[in-house]
Amino acid sequence: MTVLLDAKSLTKSYGAVLALDAVDFQVADGITGLLGPNGAGKSTAIKLSLGLIRPSSGSVEVMGQRPYDSPEARERLGYMPEHDCLPPAASAAEFLTHMAQVSGLPPAEARTRAADILRHVGLEEERYRPMGQYSTGMKQRVKLGQALVHDPVLVLLDEPTSGLDPGGREEMLQLVRRTGQEFGISIILSSHLMNDVESTCDRIIVLEGGRVTEQGTVAGFTTDTRVIVLDLNDKREEVATALAARGVSASVEGASLAVELQSEEQYDAIRDAVAEAGARLRRMSPRRRQLADIFREER
Amino acid sequence: MTGDRDRPAAAEVFDLGYQRYQGPREGRARARQALYINGLRTTLGIGRGMMPKVLAILMFGAAMVPAVIMAVIAAIFEPVADALPTHEDYYGLVSLVLFLFAAIIGPELLCPDRRDGVIHLYLVRPITPTDYVAARWLALLTVTLALVYSGQLVLWIGLVLSASDPADYLRENWLDIPRILGAGLVVAVFLATAPLAVAAFTNRRAYAAAFLIGLFLISATVSGVLTECRGPDENGGCQERVTGDAAGWLSLVSVGEAPTRVNDIIFGNEIDGATGELPRAVPVLWYALLTGGLGTLLWRRYERMSN
Repeated sequence: MTVLLDAKSLTKSYGAVLALDAVDFQVADGITGLLGPNGAGKSTAIKLSLGLIRPSSGSVEVMGQRPYDSPEARERLGYMPEHDCLPPAASAAEFLTHMAQVSGLPPAEARTRAADILRHVGLEEERYRPMGQYSTGMKQRVKLGQALVHDPVLVLLDEPTSGLDPGGREEMLQLVRRTGQEFGISIILSSHLMNDVESTCDRIIVLEGGRVTEQGTVAGFTTDTRVIVLDLNDKREEVATALAARGVSASVEGASLAVELQSEEQYDAIRDAVAEAGARLRRMSPRRRQLADIFREER
Repeated sequence: MTGDRDRPAAAEVFDLGYQRYQGPREGRARARQALYINGLRTTLGIGRGMMPKVLAILMFGAAMVPAVIMAVIAAIFEPVADALPTHEDYYGLVSLVLFLFAAIIGPELLCPDRRDGVIHLYLVRPITPTDYVAARWLALLTVTLALVYSGQLVLWIGLVLSASDPADYLRENWLDIPRILGAGLVVAVFLATAPLAVAAFTNRRAYAAAFLIGLFLISATVSGVLTECRGPDENGGCQERVTGDAAGWLSLVSVGEAPTRVNDIIFGNEIDGATGELPRAVPVLWYALLTGGLGTLLWRRYERMSN
């Protein structure tokens, strides 16, 4: 695992407002989600990582360089902003070619890369049309394309599904997953949407009120819990009573029965209780934690 | 009947998937160059529809017309050539056209990038805000220089060819060449700086252009009303609202004339109007202060974007 971004005591204040409060985090290769509600400090963390703004104190290093002090550090960084950033009169092909050159690629190579990337983001047919005529989904794809056109090592995506309908959102997330997994480009995905992060990222950093409250792998956050869920067709109350008689506590949750597992032996008790009640068991599985639980638990 | 072996091999398309870029990376130098070339294209209206191109051509034509007329008259009516305006008067004659060109085209280089949010994409690439502004400024300076020098070149060719002895004309007037180059640079630097400094404070091109044109016209009118002759006074002299040194200082208010006064000094001419009452260093210092101040304002505005 290679550390691509290393923030140490990173602080940024705007006058009296403390946007980031001495946060420490590292980003390794793969897809990392930067999760938090609006105003948590995600955009500030991204701007600092890109060298767009100077830290008030502390430091952030990207691939061993400080992006604010060294513009060259940004040669292998990509950025897809949340807000509009496309000139409406230019075509996607023209715009990506120009952006590739501004990232340091010679003109001929820039043209080739622009064509390749527009194919990868699914805009091959429309690449010569003025971008002012594009739909929101197409614009999001161009925004992703310009972030990838110079083949960065790390790309920062700020709310990439913003403004998209459910279909467009899933397509964009698939594209992000492809970029991370097939293209081999590491990603920091900033979002306030837990489902987006959970379905796309390998690791997450949770920001709240300018502080890092959690960080780790998504798998670690969504591990199995000690609760077993029984999906029963009928006789839930009877099974719960039979379980209570065996010293196992259970609660009815809609069409399911949730059992707090204390020991492995309780599996036998569950089997016996279901048999005794004569209930029809459809499914039995451990309950997985969801990212949303992190926020619920903290409140 | 055609056998399988006679059929041409079926064409196949292979999806090679995503290819990592292994080619050269030319860093900040390439980035600056790309911004500069993009700025040149924008200034000339290339890749921006018909209107910007027509506008650039019209402005170029308007700046050339006086030079062509002066050259033709000098060639046809040689005896009156001495009485005609020449290199030293050219910038003064076309200053309004040049200012209009810079006021309309200049904001195009900065305003849309900020309005459309493209500036945020530029600043995350291997450049600094200073690189960005310098590339845009150089692009406008290049086109403005081409504009101001082209007219002088046409006039110079016309005057040389119309002279009875061109070699003699060149020997006698060789000093015109460095003067033309120097004065052209003075005019072009001002015309590249002022519009960009104003454009740095608004996202709307039209506001910037209107402000600049208004500034040019209003400052010239105010200066004129205050300091120029309104007619003969009781003694047959000139009747002015403000006289003496005060009139000289007030005449500096006319912002658009700042470079043309330096042009007069470079060509060794008397400065027209009340400014002529002031020491000759004053218009030069005023020009330097104005241009330097506007340049600093422009630079600071973009530098502050990254704090």
